[in-house]
Amino acid sequence: MSTHVIIQMSERASTMDVREVSVLLRGEPEPINRWIRTASAPRTALYVAVIVAGTGIYGAAMGCWRQPLQGLYTAIKFPLIVLLTTLGNGLLNAMLAPLLGLNIGFRQSLQAVLMSFTVAAAILGSFSPLLYFLVWNAPPLAAHVSGVYPIIRLTNVAVIAFAGTVGCARLGQLLGRLSDNPAVGRRVLFAWLTVNFLLGSQLSWILRPFFGSPDLPVEFLRANAFQGNFFENLLQALQQLF
Amino acid sequence: MDALLSTLDIRQIGALLRGEPGQVGMWVRRWSSRRLLLYGAVIVVGAGCYGAAMGSWRALLQAVYNGMKFPLVILLTTLGNGLLNGMLAPLLGLNIGFRQSLLVVSMSFTIASAILGSFSPLMLFLIWNTPPVTGSWSAVSSAYCFMQLATVVMIAFAGVVGNLKLVPLLRELSGSSAVAWRVLFAWLAVNLLLGSQLCWNLRPFIGDPKIPVEFFSTHAFEGNFFEAVFKAAKHFLN
Amino acid sequence: MGATPPRIPTGSWAGYQAAPEPLGTNPVERTPIQGVIGAVEAILRQPRRVMFQMKQPNAGGLIISLLAIAVVCSLVYGVVVGTFSGAQQYWAAPVKIACGMLISALICLPSLYIFACLSGSQARLAEMFGLVAGLMALLTVLLIGFAPVAWVFSESTHSVVVMGSLHLAFWFVAAIFGLRFLHAAFCHLNAKTSGGFQVWVAIFLLVALQMTTALRPLVGKSDRFLPAATEKKFFVQHWLDCVATDPTWNETPPKAPRQDAQN
Repeated sequence: MSTHVIIQMSERASTMDVREVSVLLRGEPEPINRWIRTASAPRTALYVAVIVAGTGIYGAAMGCWRQPLQGLYTAIKFPLIVLLTTLGNGLLNAMLAPLLGLNIGFRQSLQAVLMSFTVAAAILGSFSPLLYFLVWNAPPLAAHVSGVYPIIRLTNVAVIAFAGTVGCARLGQLLGRLSDNPAVGRRVLFAWLTVNFLLGSQLSWILRPFFGSPDLPVEFLRANAFQGNFFENLLQALQQLF
Repeated sequence: MDALLSTLDIRQIGALLRGEPGQVGMWVRRWSSRRLLLYGAVIVVGAGCYGAAMGSWRALLQAVYNGMKFPLVILLTTLGNGLLNGMLAPLLGLNIGFRQSLLVVSMSFTIASAILGSFSPLMLFLIWNTPPVTGSWSAVSSAYCFMQLATVVMIAFAGVVGNLKLVPLLRELSGSSAVAWRVLFAWLAVNLLLGSQLCWNLRPFIGDPKIPVEFFSTHAFEGNFFEAVFKAAKHFLN
Repeated sequence: MGATPPRIPTGSWAGYQAAPEPLGTNPVERTPIQGVIGAVEAILRQPRRVMFQMKQPNAGGLIISLLAIAVVCSLVYGVVVGTFSGAQQYWAAPVKIACGMLISALICLPSLYIFACLSGSQARLAEMFGLVAGLMALLTVLLIGFAPVAWVFSESTHSVVVMGSLHLAFWFVAAIFGLRFLHAAFCHLNAKTSGGFQVWVAIFLLVALQMTTALRPLVGKSDRFLPAATEKKFFVQHWLDCVATDPTWNETPPKAPRQDAQN
């Protein structure tokens, strides 16, 4: 079905058309610009649904290496991080945009961020069968076979980085078109990425574990979830390294 | 010349050896099972005569066995790779059918067999001038090396010519020199793979004088040609 | 068998002219493909026709034919693989090879669709599914061509490493042709770049190679149908382990062999 037909259907209908996601992935400027200007609740619900499904399935694959229960917990926590980051920074993103030269409202900035996370979530969801396959082929986490944990961690980092990069790239293209000035688009993108990284990394710290440790029981949250923070831990790790 | 197209006329072989692309191309396009039979007959007679000549150095019985095994290697290679050759051709740009590819491959083996058949008197002459295989070790070992070399040279020459004669035909059928060479190399590679293994399975062709003459070695289905080459190379380097 | 078959256009590798002519320009390409035999002929000789028919609304029949070809051909080749060890492998190897191939394709399909979209392609998921079915069909049909060669070697050697390497080599050659078909189809999907496709090819090859280890043994014998959870390993480790334990690669060569070895 052509993009033109998808656009017409989605603009007329009040239901969620999942084929819009492929338009987002392709980064087609015209329909995306129109969707940003005419933000609608069903479309927002679609983005949330794709984020929940895509990151949830990927999180389940990540966690099931430890245990199926860990898979379930991670499937809940991964989408939670994305959505909480989006909502938590919603107001801040909406204020930064006009301050940096992009005159869009709260709903439009929220929609733009959701779109980029939707792209990333779709990519993560499509890679989840590959991650399941990798985990299925790996010796169990409890077996402590050397070399396996770094491989799986590295694979996850690579996939999440790829998904995130593509999502950011699409967001950057969108912001550049909305502002008619690529420099403004880049500034706003950089600012949003910084604040989202700040909040997102701390939420990841609080909501740990995602893989889990074989020496610790499977838990939704660690008992010391609210002790310390991501950057303290990173600093300590660097100090130990050097 | 039209009369040649539908009969078992042996003069067709001359046209094959001359590599006349127009004539041969017409034969490829107009399938004839009788022509294929003729090619089979030339392969059996030509390769059989050469094999018999080779084997006669060991014993008359070995000559008879080789007279059967040599053509068998060629025919089994042609048939065993028939489907694969027929699939590789269109995938590499030469849009011919299975029967046509079988015919073309048979043509190249026919040319090679005709050349080998013509070399069989030379091989007999060589053997007549060589110490018998049951003679003293020092005489036999150098003679054996020489016979091996001569055999390799003759078979290689026949094989190379047989395949080179295919190139103008493939070029005419495909309209492209690059496609012709690609298809030729692909067919050569798969035929070499199967042919060398069949030679290994159907050994011996000369035989060990301390062991009675046999059609198949008792170890016919143990190991393979490439394992043997690997082990020999490993031994040589050690 | 009278008329000269049409020549495949030159100028690109074996007739896959991705850029100049849009699909459907040639009237032959617009002719629907009927039945399984028609699908086999088309995938070998008229790949553009397959690509064009995949874009049509009622491509379901063609997709089913290609899948059927892939399953049947992989079962047949699996029997040849099983002849090396015999016994249980006569049925286990075909089942594993057919299932492994289908599962590998399903695992990699979502990421292929994503990469296609990221490259700007307008293809639907169903179309991508059909093209992957075409890849599988072409790959397995070529494996059938290699089957006689594989069988001869199966009957001749006792080395698992040799036989496994040979099957992998045949599979790799067949996969090259299958992936070439898919790449040509990708180019016709209005994709602006093929970088994503190249990454996907690497993923697909890795998944398929790992699947052969995950479903072992395919060549050789075992007490279990599938390896235990404690025996899981990556395919490179498995290959190295096999080479280390195979007698063919580890035996000491005999001293001073006589020159009159059987010839």
